[in-house]
Amino acid sequence: MKWKKLGKIFTPQKVKKKYWLKNFAQGPSTLIFDDFIRVYFSCRPNPDKDGKFVSYSAFVDLDKNDLFNIINISQKPVINLGGKGCFDEFGTYPISVIREKEEIWAYYGGWTRCESIPFNTAIGFAKSIDNGVSFKRLGPGPVLSYSINEPFNIGSARIRKFNDIFYLFYVSGEKWVIVNKKPEMLLKIRMATSSDGLNWKKHNKNLIKDDDNHNESQASPDVFYHNNLYHMFFCNWLPSSFRKTKSRKIGYAYSTDLINWIRKDENIGIDISSKGWDSEMIAYPHVFTVNNKIYMFYLGNEVGKYGFGLAELEGYLK
Amino acid sequence: MKWRKIGQIFKFDESPFKNRFISHAQSPQAIVFDDFVRVYFSTRKKDISGKFLSYVQYVDYNKKISKIINFSNDEVIKLGKIGCFDEHGIFPFSPLQYKGKIFAYTNGWTRRVSVDIDSSIGFAISDDNGETFNKLGDGPILTSSLFEPFLIGDPFVKVYNKKYYMFYIFGEKWIVDSKVKNPERVYKIGYAISNDGLNWEKRNKKIINDILGEDECQALPTIIKIRNQYHMFFCYRQAIGFRETKDKGYRIGHAYSDNLKDWIRNDSSCSIKLSKDGWDSKMQCYPNVFECNDKIYLLYNGNKFGENGFGLAILDY
Repeated sequence: MKWKKLGKIFTPQKVKKKYWLKNFAQGPSTLIFDDFIRVYFSCRPNPDKDGKFVSYSAFVDLDKNDLFNIINISQKPVINLGGKGCFDEFGTYPISVIREKEEIWAYYGGWTRCESIPFNTAIGFAKSIDNGVSFKRLGPGPVLSYSINEPFNIGSARIRKFNDIFYLFYVSGEKWVIVNKKPEMLLKIRMATSSDGLNWKKHNKNLIKDDDNHNESQASPDVFYHNNLYHMFFCNWLPSSFRKTKSRKIGYAYSTDLINWIRKDENIGIDISSKGWDSEMIAYPHVFTVNNKIYMFYLGNEVGKYGFGLAELEGYLK
Repeated sequence: MKWRKIGQIFKFDESPFKNRFISHAQSPQAIVFDDFVRVYFSTRKKDISGKFLSYVQYVDYNKKISKIINFSNDEVIKLGKIGCFDEHGIFPFSPLQYKGKIFAYTNGWTRRVSVDIDSSIGFAISDDNGETFNKLGDGPILTSSLFEPFLIGDPFVKVYNKKYYMFYIFGEKWIVDSKVKNPERVYKIGYAISNDGLNWEKRNKKIINDILGEDECQALPTIIKIRNQYHMFFCYRQAIGFRETKDKGYRIGHAYSDNLKDWIRNDSSCSIKLSKDGWDSKMQCYPNVFECNDKIYLLYNGNKFGENGFGLAILDY
């Protein structure tokens, strides 16, 4: 496969008068309407006096016939932060949505702050009855949380529905590794299934075979069905060195049954640019179809601090 | 039903534990062997930052519970790895004897930034008659969920008619109040059911009525079947001012049920009163009921949440 880079779509620094949208546009995911596509992303206000961030989720609407034409930006975050002591008190990032009858359902990563490690995450659930402009939680707690073999950092959720079954692709923390005296998370891609979107059965296995040295973190498991195959685009990096190399990569795997995945990173057909906004990393992919073309949103340098860009598939995905 | 107090049976500062730990013997919970009664409890160490960690230890009594015959010398269960739900402590620790094996349901806790802590329930198995326990995994078996957002803890498990019943507590809210420095928690007693003791179905229901208003905190349920009725003992308190004000501190409550689902609160019929002076004159908390040689006993903590140990009462009925 081969992806043709089309350029950067959205730059958060260009947005004025939104205190909660200063930097970052992370974890892009789409909801397709008749005339436009709504792209959800997560963003941050300036850090607090301790240098700590919170994250919000918001959207931009793009003209379906010219994806570089931003026709609308959300007036406020699509969901507020969680209450005192809740799993999502300090962030709602990333967000993944699905149309379910007249409603839009959202699955998002909720962030809380911890003492021995910087944060912990679990997956929350919320519904929208206004076409995805605003979402309300069903309850104050998470819909997918920790369990005996998934002890922490449950997040990076992508919601999909295939053959009337809901699939949640997400990551779970395997351990915190200490690199230069700081804890860095080691994450692996996991899956859960549900008949109602609320009660989930965890598959309890890593879906994607590790790279050679088994020290890789994986995130953003974006699954796309096309040509009778399930394709997964995801993000991976090495916790031991990514602070120095500033590198994260896009990986690829395919499956016929959503359980057994064949990893083929070498087929991904997209790489960093020699200069510019995506010269250090390309990361956190989201693949979607519009007007019979297959596109990928992805993040560039500093994990989307300066926004996300678009690439178009040339030829076939098979 | 009337409890007759036997008195404080364990004093931390007169025990060998005072050389290894700094204070506390909280939430005593017993299992009965052929020759002795083992009482697990949580005690404390300080970490390098000066904050405390809670560790599980035990003390063994003769069957009359009149004499200490043995103490734990080693680590009973390890605290969790970095980032895990039980990294900073296990308190309480609830043993279960079933089909010749000894299991433990643990309340693991970890420190948070905007609130003091969060907790979840873990599971461990002993291969050496309850001297040490190994966890089945790094994560919890029961934790936060859509309608129980935080502070899942205080497990107590019994098997009735081949079904596992877990009574536990869940957090309802953290109160931010100008009168107190840190947010204060409110938690209630709920229950879950399981066929294997590992996979639990929460009933998402508060089962004990409040008598102190909606901010009543309910903790540490313990259950015993007497004749054909189930009896639950627990402790309860006000949400704010409970540390320093005697009238707002922990008391032991009681409820009964015919089916383990519907509970009638009846503190007055089975209450155990504060003593006029001494170790349980200001507070009574963390009850554990058990049967030994056809007698029913109640272990509990007194003043200062069990800073200096626990006591015993026996049921006259």
